[in-house]
Amino acid sequence: MAAMAAEPAVPDYESAELYTRAFRVGALGFGWRRLLGPPDLSLAAEEEEDADLAVAAALDCAPATAAELRAVCRMRKKALERREETIIVDRACRQETLTYEMESHATGKRPDNPTDLIEEGELLLTLNIFYPVIFQKHKDHKPYQTVLVLGSQNLTELRDSISCVSDLQIGGEFSSQPDQAPEHISKDLYKSAFFYFEGIFYNDKRYPECRDLSRTIIEWSESHDRGYENLQSVKMEDYVFNDLSLKIGFPYLYCHQGNCEHIIIITDIRLIHRDDCLDRNLYPLLVKKHWLCTRKCFVCKMYTARWVTNRDTLAPEDPCFFCDVCFRMLHYDAEGNKLGEFLAYPYVDPGIFN
Amino acid sequence: MSTLPGLKEDCEELLGAFQQADTVRFERFAELWRERRFHTIFYGRIRALERNKITKKTLDLAQQYFFPPYSFQIRVGALYLLYGLYNAQLCQPKQKIRIALKDWPEIQKFHLDLLDSQHYDAAYIFRRLRLARAFHFTAMPKLLTYRTKKKIEENYFKEEFKDPSNRVNSLITNDVLEELMNVHDHYQKMKCVISADKSQPDKALSLIKDDFVVNLKDITLEHQEWQQNRMKLFGNAKVTPETENKKKEETWLESEGSERASALARIKYKSYSAVVEVSKSRRHRQVQLESSESGPSCGKSPGRSKKKASRTPQPARRGSSEVRGEMQEAEETVTRHIGMPVITEEDLDEGEVSLPKRRR
Repeated sequence: MAAMAAEPAVPDYESAELYTRAFRVGALGFGWRRLLGPPDLSLAAEEEEDADLAVAAALDCAPATAAELRAVCRMRKKALERREETIIVDRACRQETLTYEMESHATGKRPDNPTDLIEEGELLLTLNIFYPVIFQKHKDHKPYQTVLVLGSQNLTELRDSISCVSDLQIGGEFSSQPDQAPEHISKDLYKSAFFYFEGIFYNDKRYPECRDLSRTIIEWSESHDRGYENLQSVKMEDYVFNDLSLKIGFPYLYCHQGNCEHIIIITDIRLIHRDDCLDRNLYPLLVKKHWLCTRKCFVCKMYTARWVTNRDTLAPEDPCFFCDVCFRMLHYDAEGNKLGEFLAYPYVDPGIFN
Repeated sequence: MSTLPGLKEDCEELLGAFQQADTVRFERFAELWRERRFHTIFYGRIRALERNKITKKTLDLAQQYFFPPYSFQIRVGALYLLYGLYNAQLCQPKQKIRIALKDWPEIQKFHLDLLDSQHYDAAYIFRRLRLARAFHFTAMPKLLTYRTKKKIEENYFKEEFKDPSNRVNSLITNDVLEELMNVHDHYQKMKCVISADKSQPDKALSLIKDDFVVNLKDITLEHQEWQQNRMKLFGNAKVTPETENKKKEETWLESEGSERASALARIKYKSYSAVVEVSKSRRHRQVQLESSESGPSCGKSPGRSKKKASRTPQPARRGSSEVRGEMQEAEETVTRHIGMPVITEEDLDEGEVSLPKRRR
């Protein structure tokens, strides 16, 4: 296969079993579509009847041979079907049910609107996006979510689909005015974000408030000869995944809120298949999510914590978490006056997306 | 669990039995499959999530045997195994077989081989898998998750499954040795021309060992023999598979004529090693190659280089008889050297043994 601008069109390992060399995503699709014929790429139902004449033509043999082949090369079905009727299986725990449901809920879905149907030959990328949360218990296996994305989708669509708890943070101390915690979450205030793939920063520039977060990094690398080749900065909204040059299995970066960094690894790129979800609107599709236990209120141990206090004379530990009701009951009297000394902040638990 | 204990052993046992059966017919494979009740590999009271994972791992394991460096028979066995596993799986919708872009040309070549040698059952099964859309066409065969901490298991190939060809043979091919010999002669002649005494080069010009080409040939031959002996040990009393297999193969096959038999044997002999390209530097030489011409066209694609793995260069002084594609040959395992052109002609055989002359 001809190499395009010194990039191999056929992906291969750069570090064995770990990650590949960089290649243009669109080139992979092009490569496969060139080699495969219509029946392989098609998203239509499989044909049940394989006519003898068709077989004979394909294999260049006599039709009688084709008939013989059909008789000989089949798998027995009886044993399998009998078993299905009699088997009893135990029940699954809810985490397992959730994981299974997430993986398979979208399989085989078709859109109502035919324009939303994904065409054959479309590429499907599987990305692992790691959580920025750093807990000691996650030392060995950092938790991640898995997202499926189409080759023809924009980077901004992926950015919008990433749900991170830091987007929901509300800044500010509200012990004196608990009722006035503003509705503005960080996501609305700080809209900048960037992706970093293969030496290029893709900045989100859709809104006027968005800043180029990558400029600091680029300036830093250019200030001294640090050994990084020229890093570029471009707009995220101009690019779709097919345009990117990527290595599979290699960690990249997504940064938002100025300092919330997520590692992104592309684990797989393949052609779309009949059994996948073919509704374009459902992509980017979340198929796997890490289950994080939510912190419960210290008092009632039932509701998820919404407030956290520091230096609280009324609380047994620092920091201490409360749900809304318990927080008000403990720290404020009937008229709403503040009791005791404390600092209170609205709290968003990382497990909120469960 | 990262690996399924015992799965690899089970698959290898089945493929080993298939290899022992010395055939590539699906009926035989199906018998072996049913003997072992291999479809029960997916039984076990497991729920959907784990079932998906296990099926994926099973298909991934079986798929590895489908590619080189495994021998032709093992690859056909792997194809049947994939077909069986794909159809026997209990997942709904079915888990697919992953094929990477870099492996597709090899599969196509394999498919052409099957058609050429009229192994219609294997080709039919491949066709059925394609029509059933059992494949995921991917960039890389495995999911890459950058797990550096996880120990990457060594991929241990079972020796018996490997094709007898190896890298030494692929490097020191007939062509290479011919070329070396010719260059060596030319060099000697050049030295003579510029020396005072026209019949032999000056002492001052002797910078290399004169007989290094012959030594190289001998070393390669030794290596070849050593490899054959090793294969013999593995085969326990089965001599280097080709001749014996050929004989048995003929009895197994339905009567399809000797054409098919010879085509079959030819395909089985084909090695997967690359042949060294002729460099442009050959143009300067006046010495003409008296290479052994190929006789009747070898199968449907004469352009392909056909070199039996064990038919590497051997000195002409070996008087052993040639192994041929036809049935009449006695069971001999040592093969004859094709002939360095400068040495006196041996009886060139007219079969597929000789290499077609390379175009400049």
